[in-house]
Amino acid sequence: MPFLELSQVSYFYPQQSKSALTEIDINFDNEGITAIIGPNGSGKTTLTKLLVGILQPTAGEIRLKGRRLQEYSLAEIGRRIGYIFQNPDQQLFCTTVNEEIGFGLIHQGGEPEAVREKVDFYLEYFELTAYRNVFPLHLSKGEKQRLALAAILANEPEFLILDEPTVGLDAYRKKLLAEYLRKLARLNRGMIIVSHDLNFVMKVADRIIGLEKGQICWDSLQEGNTGHEA
Amino acid sequence: MVIVLCLSTLALIYNTPGRLLLLLAGTVILLLILRLKLGEFLGYIRKFLPLFIFLLLVQSIFTRGGEVLLTMGTVPLITTKGLELGISVVLRMMVVIASAVLLTTSNSRDIVLGMVHWKFPYEIAFMFSVSLRFLPTFREELSNVITAVQLRGVELKKVPWGRKIALYRCLFFPVAYGAIEKAQQLSIAMETRGFRAYPQRTYLRKLQFGSKDYVLSLLFPVATLMLILLQI
Amino acid sequence: MTVVVQGLTYRYRRDGPAVIKNINFRIAQGEIVAVTGLSGCGKSTLCNCLCGIIPHCQGGEMSGEVLINGKNTRQFKIASLALQVGMVFQNPDTQLFSPTVEDEIAFAPENMCLEPEFIRERVDNVLALLEINEFREANPCQLSGGEKQLVALAAVLALDPPVLILDEVMSQLDSGSQKKVAAVLEKLHKQGKTIIMVEHDLETVAFTDRLMVINDGEIVRFERTESLLADRDFLTASQLLFDDDQSMNKWRTVNALSGVEPSKLFLSTTK
Repeated sequence: MPFLELSQVSYFYPQQSKSALTEIDINFDNEGITAIIGPNGSGKTTLTKLLVGILQPTAGEIRLKGRRLQEYSLAEIGRRIGYIFQNPDQQLFCTTVNEEIGFGLIHQGGEPEAVREKVDFYLEYFELTAYRNVFPLHLSKGEKQRLALAAILANEPEFLILDEPTVGLDAYRKKLLAEYLRKLARLNRGMIIVSHDLNFVMKVADRIIGLEKGQICWDSLQEGNTGHEA
Repeated sequence: MVIVLCLSTLALIYNTPGRLLLLLAGTVILLLILRLKLGEFLGYIRKFLPLFIFLLLVQSIFTRGGEVLLTMGTVPLITTKGLELGISVVLRMMVVIASAVLLTTSNSRDIVLGMVHWKFPYEIAFMFSVSLRFLPTFREELSNVITAVQLRGVELKKVPWGRKIALYRCLFFPVAYGAIEKAQQLSIAMETRGFRAYPQRTYLRKLQFGSKDYVLSLLFPVATLMLILLQI
Repeated sequence: MTVVVQGLTYRYRRDGPAVIKNINFRIAQGEIVAVTGLSGCGKSTLCNCLCGIIPHCQGGEMSGEVLINGKNTRQFKIASLALQVGMVFQNPDTQLFSPTVEDEIAFAPENMCLEPEFIRERVDNVLALLEINEFREANPCQLSGGEKQLVALAAVLALDPPVLILDEVMSQLDSGSQKKVAAVLEKLHKQGKTIIMVEHDLETVAFTDRLMVINDGEIVRFERTESLLADRDFLTASQLLFDDDQSMNKWRTVNALSGVEPSKLFLSTTK
């Protein structure tokens, strides 16, 4: 069974006549990295917002693990799908990096000791240990992004969706990000990356979906399918 | 037209209890006349409903005087005076919301043009309109943060009230900080595009002030003054 | 319009480390120059110095001079520099504030007390130049990230400043829009404008005259773009390349609904 199933999904923004997405039929499995590419305004971000339930489709249906998405609460979806916003500022809301990573765990009733251990692990993993007591909004763009990833991953979602993760990153940080994502993929986590950065996508993705004017115009798998050389 | 809106807000704040209902009716009628969305107003009212009820209760319970309507043991719980005050507070808030809707639904460009027409310095007019314009943005940012919190797996609906308030309080700081930062960058951006280069500026569009608008904008302050005087 | 920078040093705090260390360069009128370097190397700070935000709006300590066509930025308010230097910021969200795209573009010329008819002409021209006429009445807030970036550029172009500074404006644009903006910049370049653009992705700046590489607040290289881009060893060593080893070839179209190759996908959406 596919992890996420979309059937005939359309979306209209209120007070806009043009539809943002029209009759999208697509499935996502819980493995490998799927990239969604397309020009500006093609509906990429809208699609991801639909997938995590921030927006409700105007028509059609989305199923998460076979169950209709509307039957989940946002928090239930959040525990299954980690979503990284296009602008990480929007999802950093704690006063220190430490708190940010532990936030989800603590509020879900995690043991302080276990939480601290996990936070330390992710600080280390994303090279953020030096910033543990810094105010998140004072970090640089690349650091904020890593923090957002760490904070989301600490919740151990089964699936990840990243909206434009490369915007504002230099080549070096892009490479690091690509490595992180490949590393994660090897941990058997499915992932969707929305991007307009073709070079980046070609490097990391196992499957590429092209979106244009709210419709899927292109869907392809990489040769050899899932087995991606490191 | 814009000035009418500003003044109506003013007028409303000055007023007192019993007449508030009338005033509310008046504002709603004004909304209708100006063909503005009543639905939006009702939407706001619905959102604020818990707050209203809360205020009503607090006011009723903590204000003493008048006849006792309900007692709990020996403690008078709700009195006529308290109820009256509670209702008037709620009504006043509704009026303020209604006039805020009047303001936000009118185009911010018109607000600038209107204020400049009435000889406000354009810097102030812009400050006013930009901040009005950012109210919805600010609200959106707040709701974004709340969405983000939920997506971290926190069931906001199930968090007990006490914890929830503590949670909101700690969320408020980063959001406010972000807003201040944004405002700073925005003002720099405005300046790099020549804002305040000269004491005057021109406008692409002209606001057509008809005689109707003049009459209305005169009528409102006069009426407000009269009402205040009557009150005294 | 020449841009001359002499002995520029900047610290956020008097006793803090220098973010920009004794930078000197001269950009001739009509030159188009790209600036690159890793995040945090001081590119954006340099931009802020060039358009007068530093020292006017931002604290810290600046020494050295920035001369725009002989005018020292210290002696002019930012707003009066606006006619000389146009600056497009990295984040479009913090530079758009008007109810419609048209108002946004008209804002700068209005500040210059131009006649309404003239402003309208400017707005029309800029909208046509960037091919965004369809957004004229749209609310900038409701546009996508890339579209906002185009509007921000349009709003600055409306003043027709002889010097343009663009801080990572390409980063949010798809390759179709990138090509469009590059074409517009080349056109402006031919009209004799001086353009300084900060960019991470070296592919997007291949058309520029000269390329400046900054590392840790200092200019490492500043030479003809063509020859610098050819020095792959240097670029790789400075971590500036996100090398694509022809990864496109590894792709084959399995379910080609429109039957296009990935490289053509974006080209086909340009128009």
